[in-house]
Amino acid sequence: MNDQVGGNQKRARFQALCQSLRPDLLRFAFWLSRDRALAEDVVQETMLRAWKAQDTLADEAAAKPWFLTIIRREYARTFERKRFVTVDVDELVAREEPMLAAAEEEELAEMRAALFKLPDEYREPLVLQVLMGLSTAEIARELDLSAAAVLTRLFRARKQLRVLCGEDTRLDPEK
Amino acid sequence: MMDCNAYRRSMMADPRDADPRLSEHRESCHDCNLFTEGLLRFESRLDRALHVAAPADNVLPLRAKAARLPNRRGWLAMAASVLMAVVVAGVLWVAGPGSSLAADVVTHMGGEPDAWHTHAPVLDSELEAVLRNTHLRLTAGAGPVSYAASCEFRGHHVPHLVIQTESGPVTVMVLVHENVPKPVRFEEGGYRGVIVPVAGHGSLAVLTRGSSTDIKVVEAIAARVEASITWTGA
Repeated sequence: MNDQVGGNQKRARFQALCQSLRPDLLRFAFWLSRDRALAEDVVQETMLRAWKAQDTLADEAAAKPWFLTIIRREYARTFERKRFVTVDVDELVAREEPMLAAAEEEELAEMRAALFKLPDEYREPLVLQVLMGLSTAEIARELDLSAAAVLTRLFRARKQLRVLCGEDTRLDPEK
Repeated sequence: MMDCNAYRRSMMADPRDADPRLSEHRESCHDCNLFTEGLLRFESRLDRALHVAAPADNVLPLRAKAARLPNRRGWLAMAASVLMAVVVAGVLWVAGPGSSLAADVVTHMGGEPDAWHTHAPVLDSELEAVLRNTHLRLTAGAGPVSYAASCEFRGHHVPHLVIQTESGPVTVMVLVHENVPKPVRFEEGGYRGVIVPVAGHGSLAVLTRGSSTDIKVVEAIAARVEASITWTGA
């Protein structure tokens, strides 16, 4: 009886954890894939995998990177299955226009379109840092890069993004 | 001494970097100060742009043996269980022993018991220093702040304040890295409180000690504090 109560509490706790993280995980998957429908599929698969593997999550404080790792693997699997060869950014922007244009401010829509145009290797660490709140060390672990490489990518990501958004870059460092 | 190029490069890689050498350079260099203001405005816009709409009301597996969904049509087929999952999750979220986030907030209280015992307002400069890294200011409408510290919480430095209110002291934690889909009430460990979502800026935790303050009063204080925040990153 006690085992059953404990199990229910554990499930409820895990469910609450999923519920609280899900919006940001969906956002992360969206920026990873630039495809809302695909992002929803990936997050759904991720939740199911996480549910089955919940016993391996020893520390709830580590849940976010744990979920992110599952999402990235799941996305990679989807990517392999679908065998995308080329990516037409303008087509992606057009397809996701309702979502991108949902921004209440024009400048946000402009920023989102610019994010779509960033190379994956720059966009991903930037999203992990700004949206998911990961530290440089955490991003390095997640992407299997050195901290220096992560910082270089983050610098280049912002540099490109600022140019794409028409920011005043006169004070920006050269390299 | 750090030069301007190194400073700006570091800031563009991580605008939240709390390295004291960065703040030292910024304070002594007008152009870099100007550059930082522009960069933080840009950062705020980037943060808001990344927060695309992501409704929380989607399916969560209720059982380990939940049906595997082969494609998006599966979502429609699961509509009934989605609704049930949301209702059950919502009830558990509100009435359960506390979310992990709430539990962590309460645990954090235990580490700083003295924060409740100070009553004299902190210096404005002290408060500003604590809030600066989170890019916010607090107007007087929030009430007198008697304690302000930048605390390590879930891997980030977050403002931890105690505000004196008509209902006694309340603790406020500004959790810009912690998103909650909707307000969370909790009561555990001798604290009663709420965690409320703040659009584009994570969430705000507001706690009182004991259970003498009505939760609606706590929610009203949370709303007042939120209304007193000016985000300076924009």
